[in-house]
Amino acid sequence: MIKLITEDCKKSCKNSVLFSMLKDQTILITGGTGFMGKWLAEMISYINDKENFNIQLILLARDIKKFEKEMSHLADRPYIRLLRQDVRNVHDLPVEINYIIHAAGTPDNREHVSQPILTIETFYKGTQAILDAASRLPDLKKIVHISSHLVYGEWDSEDNISEKFSGKVGISSINNVYAESKRIAETLCLAYRNQFKLPISIVRPFAFVGPYHDLEKPWAINNFIRDGILGGAIRILGNGSTVRSYLYGSDMAYWILVTLLKGQIGEIYNLGSSEAVSLNDLAKKIQTMINPNLEILSKSSKENYTNLSRLVPDTTKIVKALNVEETYQINDSINRTIVWNQLKGINKNNITK
Amino acid sequence: MVKHILISDPTLRDGNHAVAHQLSAEQIAIYAKAADEAGVPIVEVGHGNGLGASSMQVGLSLVDDVTMLETARNNLTKSKLGIHVIPGFATIKRDLIRALEIGVDVVRVASHCTEADITQRHLGFVREKGKEAYGVLMMSHMASASTLVEEAQKMELYGAEGIIIMDSAGAYLPADVAEKISALVNGLKVPVGFHAHNNLGMAIANSIAAIESGAKILDGTARGFGAGAGNAQLEVLIAVLERMGYITGIDLYKMLDASDIAEREVMPSIPTIKSESIVSGLSGVFSGFAKHVNRISKEYEVDQRDVYKELGKRRVVGGQEDLIIEVVMDLVRRRK
Repeated sequence: MIKLITEDCKKSCKNSVLFSMLKDQTILITGGTGFMGKWLAEMISYINDKENFNIQLILLARDIKKFEKEMSHLADRPYIRLLRQDVRNVHDLPVEINYIIHAAGTPDNREHVSQPILTIETFYKGTQAILDAASRLPDLKKIVHISSHLVYGEWDSEDNISEKFSGKVGISSINNVYAESKRIAETLCLAYRNQFKLPISIVRPFAFVGPYHDLEKPWAINNFIRDGILGGAIRILGNGSTVRSYLYGSDMAYWILVTLLKGQIGEIYNLGSSEAVSLNDLAKKIQTMINPNLEILSKSSKENYTNLSRLVPDTTKIVKALNVEETYQINDSINRTIVWNQLKGINKNNITK
Repeated sequence: MVKHILISDPTLRDGNHAVAHQLSAEQIAIYAKAADEAGVPIVEVGHGNGLGASSMQVGLSLVDDVTMLETARNNLTKSKLGIHVIPGFATIKRDLIRALEIGVDVVRVASHCTEADITQRHLGFVREKGKEAYGVLMMSHMASASTLVEEAQKMELYGAEGIIIMDSAGAYLPADVAEKISALVNGLKVPVGFHAHNNLGMAIANSIAAIESGAKILDGTARGFGAGAGNAQLEVLIAVLERMGYITGIDLYKMLDASDIAEREVMPSIPTIKSESIVSGLSGVFSGFAKHVNRISKEYEVDQRDVYKELGKRRVVGGQEDLIIEVVMDLVRRRK
């Protein structure tokens, strides 16, 4: 499993020398034990191992025990520190911090609808707490704020979404609590950059795939892979024509770190894959890779949908400005995710274990 | 276009309410076999309040969950084995894991209509294990259409592959059903279903109103065997659906045979709309209360209809069976 991750980091990290600027520097990652935090920790470990840059990493999260258990190969690295804290309650940060990647808060929409007030607090109060604390750091060089593609709200075009789209979010639905929270968090970043001159860039992540994405998370690609590994049927819930795109975990980590170094202050970058795929095609790809005899079932409330949901980023800006590229195309991304989960021990024999 | 309707048959679960949870393993075996032969897609089995619910509060089952599920499993070849699960009654560790090991195919995780939050872990667990998971909103007449949509959307996010609203009190008229089902179909990605009770004689009409509003899943029981005034009578429902051109995959003649067998072997009496059932429906009281209200009212010589009216005023929900005695005692005090 670790070998696969190291191979991924090696392939995605096109220019490890670029990170010489981070030599002996300290990076804080809030939400450091989630999917993004784990991949960033893997990528920095790879760079440290390869280039001996001694980049120091502080991972701030509420549940560090889970990280210590799941990431034991990293947890005892001398350059990684775990800081157990709720982002809403951060006051003072370690003074040696030079860079911040603010990724706290779950993108799991089950949590957003179950705990909408906590969701608002985490992104609003949490972001303000981090920015306040950051404004007091003596040698802060850069902050990358992790926002969300959901700030774009309703998108009814067949084009890829550009950063120029100002967004259209309805305020009367509980489902938009996360999007609105992410919007106010972006506005806070704007205000702190303006008033306190904090050096902030923003990325808007779309969908990801790869190791460390728990298959129980409520996203189609995770569920399809899980259904497939467990022996099917692969169940498409809702409109199978829905279109998404998936950036692989190691590419995501590399792109974020390049943004930390080279992203322009005040700029916003889409973070995701521009390779569009419908859920129907995604299910077929997974079926082909796991077992062509697997059944695919479609379950939907309606026969005909008037609106097509299409959430795919226009990545022209980040690709051109930061010179990044997608190393893994969708087929490779899915295949490596399946292999990693199988290596982890998920298979159809442990259905009721 | 031909429309398929998925039928789930809770004769051996909702029917357990009608006999104070005293269905025997033999009765379960007989009806499960007959329903399987008729091609009923899902046969739901268990205590009336679902897995793990056998208790002093809501009633002790004659046979335990394991026996019920193993018996049904041994008699189902084509039909899927389904269970009704209310988090709180059923825990994942104690009940759900064992049920899946026995071979349950379909798990319907239910909550009161405004409390979908409690279903997250159970729905997630069932999906994680690769089984079919549905969300069920009980006592749905107590919430507005927009609230039902919000709660149902939570269940959808938690992993439900379909959402069924229950008219647990038999309180709906067809227009109510049409309003709520339409809102759910518009607001959800996954299929919507309806579970009727017959207190106001509307179970079949309401089920038809549901599918005409876009529902794709219907519940029905042999002879309407279920709590209170019973459910939508399955053999009638199948006949009506056939006449309307819907496909259920159920063989009507064999379903008629199954319901004859159920009448003869499973139910001491066929559910009818008794006077108190009508008041129960008008008051919006959970049909599963019927046996308890009947027993306690007789014991203290109070009019059941007054008990239902008072329970309705208090907006009592399933799981609050212990309030029946409180209401009866209040009526006794007032009488004095």
